[in-house]
Amino acid sequence: MSLLDATLRAFALLFTGDPDLWRIIWVSLKTSVLGLLLATPPAVLLGYLVAMHRFKGRRIAIWLAQAALSLPTVLIGLLLYLLLSRHGPMGPLQWLFSQPGIIAGQFVVAIPVLLAFTLAAVQAVDPRYAETAVAHGASRVQVMVRVLHEARFGVMAAVLSGFGRVISEVGCALMVGGNIEGETRTITTAIALETSKGEFAQGIALGIVLVTIALLMNGVLMLLQGDAHVARDRP
Amino acid sequence: MIHQISIQGMLGATHARKGDERRKALLGVKGLRKRHGERLLFDIGCLEIASHSAYVLTGMNGAGKSTLLRVLGGLERAEIDSLRFEGMEERPYPYPRALRESIVYVHQHPVMFSTSIAHNIGYGLEVRGVAKEEAARKVEEAMAWAGVAHLQDVEPGRLSGGERQRVALARAKVLCPKLLLLDEPTSNLDGQAREQVIELIPTMVEAGGSVVIACHDRDLIGLPGVQRLKLRDGQLEVR
Repeated sequence: MSLLDATLRAFALLFTGDPDLWRIIWVSLKTSVLGLLLATPPAVLLGYLVAMHRFKGRRIAIWLAQAALSLPTVLIGLLLYLLLSRHGPMGPLQWLFSQPGIIAGQFVVAIPVLLAFTLAAVQAVDPRYAETAVAHGASRVQVMVRVLHEARFGVMAAVLSGFGRVISEVGCALMVGGNIEGETRTITTAIALETSKGEFAQGIALGIVLVTIALLMNGVLMLLQGDAHVARDRP
Repeated sequence: MIHQISIQGMLGATHARKGDERRKALLGVKGLRKRHGERLLFDIGCLEIASHSAYVLTGMNGAGKSTLLRVLGGLERAEIDSLRFEGMEERPYPYPRALRESIVYVHQHPVMFSTSIAHNIGYGLEVRGVAKEEAARKVEEAMAWAGVAHLQDVEPGRLSGGERQRVALARAKVLCPKLLLLDEPTSNLDGQAREQVIELIPTMVEAGGSVVIACHDRDLIGLPGVQRLKLRDGQLEVR
């Protein structure tokens, strides 16, 4: 099959509403969004705390958070596999080769991105914002809300980058999910499988979906950041 | 000069009306030392701030004026032997709640939250849980007082230096602080913007609180009824 034929078939699969294809897309979006939703609150909180507080070992924490960005997802998958396997400490949960297992994997994959980007975004906020909030009587939580509001574009970028990382990763989803058709087959694991079988049409169709998601996400970010230059106070 | 005369008139009247009998010790700090590494920035044996009083704090650049205000405002730590506020002995750290609710510090270059002018001014009321209607009324009054009512639809990031300083003063005044700490409020202003800010300061004292202004501005330093404090060689001189 030529590349053109495969691409035409890919579009046909997409626009005829091929149930297998859309099931894969649904599993991917569901596990990625849930993993990200679970990871965002603790990662943003941790990023804020590390950025705003001086404590022993802070530099090591920042170093580890940034190093974790380049952690291969297949290694995260391996570690989770060992934890979730029948004789592992989390074996009784029976999450291996299931959607909760993939969600747990996406959670772990998203944390470093969210943490490191939030840390950088909060560190970039002028310290006078927090001081002004404190000086006007804000509690610790109120100061955090204020600072995160000032850093909101950076935090949004963190969330979107985290989404980009989890939706496009293959190693963890493959090892923990097992690529079971209709159950744990995600966009990336399906592309890997279909390509290995020489079935390029579905792979190309799913690739188009991934690129469309990436374009949409970055478009949303650009729209949100459109007024960032006037929203942020001049130094 | 016209502005200076009017300011002097206002402050003179204010102090004559209030009288010395209304002035009580508001804040008393003993043994206040601040170090930057090995360097001792200042070592103040005793600092007394009375209620209903205005002070200017002068000193060379780097003498520690801003640092002293930041310490009093609870934004920086220092060594403090004893601290009294309204006659009550307080532990200096964690910064006491009574002081946090009564003392407001305003930066030399204030920042505006990226919300609205009205939200900026009402921020302190919001975090104190003041009812919305009451807060809106107070914000409206403060905006009129600071002469920024016409700016309410302007993005805070687009304000000029003078407008920003006036919004910051309104943001502090709306809380009716017992002690207001102003860090060089006119240093980056000139012309009309500076005069407008100077005009606001006596009315803040008139409102009943105390104010300490770190500054080099002769018009502020020379105001009658304003007590002068000077940081020199790490010591605080009362003039």
